[in-house]
Amino acid sequence: MIDVALAITSLAAVLFVARMLRGPALADRVISVDGFVSTIVIGVTVASVRPGSGVVESTVLVVAISGFVGTAILARFIERRGS
Amino acid sequence: MGGLLDLLGGVALIVGALFALLAGIGVHKFRDPFSRMHAAAKSPTLGLVLVTIGAALRIRTFGAIATLTLVAILQLLTSPVGTHLVARAVHLRVKVPQDGVDELERDEAV
Repeated sequence: MIDVALAITSLAAVLFVARMLRGPALADRVISVDGFVSTIVIGVTVASVRPGSGVVESTVLVVAISGFVGTAILARFIERRGS
Repeated sequence: MGGLLDLLGGVALIVGALFALLAGIGVHKFRDPFSRMHAAAKSPTLGLVLVTIGAALRIRTFGAIATLTLVAILQLLTSPVGTHLVARAVHLRVKVPQDGVDELERDEAV
């Protein structure tokens, strides 16, 4: 079940990366980076359940916080640079 | 008891991952930045809450459950804030064609 969840999350991450590469405007890329980080948080949480993966739950906390800071900085970047 | 909790945790993990997939499909298919933001912000939040519940049901130690609760609360607090920042920046800088009245622009023009 854990492996199925990991596979689904990987598929979602591929869709986000596809939009990140195509996205017509900078805004679309920033939005897909935001969603991609959320997907990574979900994936790391699932991986922390898997026995023998060596991922601990504290990793999830670090990824979540750095994702929020990254989104905030990218939003400022759009405001300064435009489109 | 342990087997039932494991099963419930596994189902919650898979449903949470499906919400992440839903967000990916939405971001891939929708046509303008605001629709994509709608897909990319809401459903991963619900997905993450479900996945933390599933992980807590599977791991069942006090430290893990405390950390995962913290993660869920943190995501519920930061996801709207980050999305609001991005939405404000996009509204200021990118011209997105809208169907109806742009209420923020109308209010700012007064």
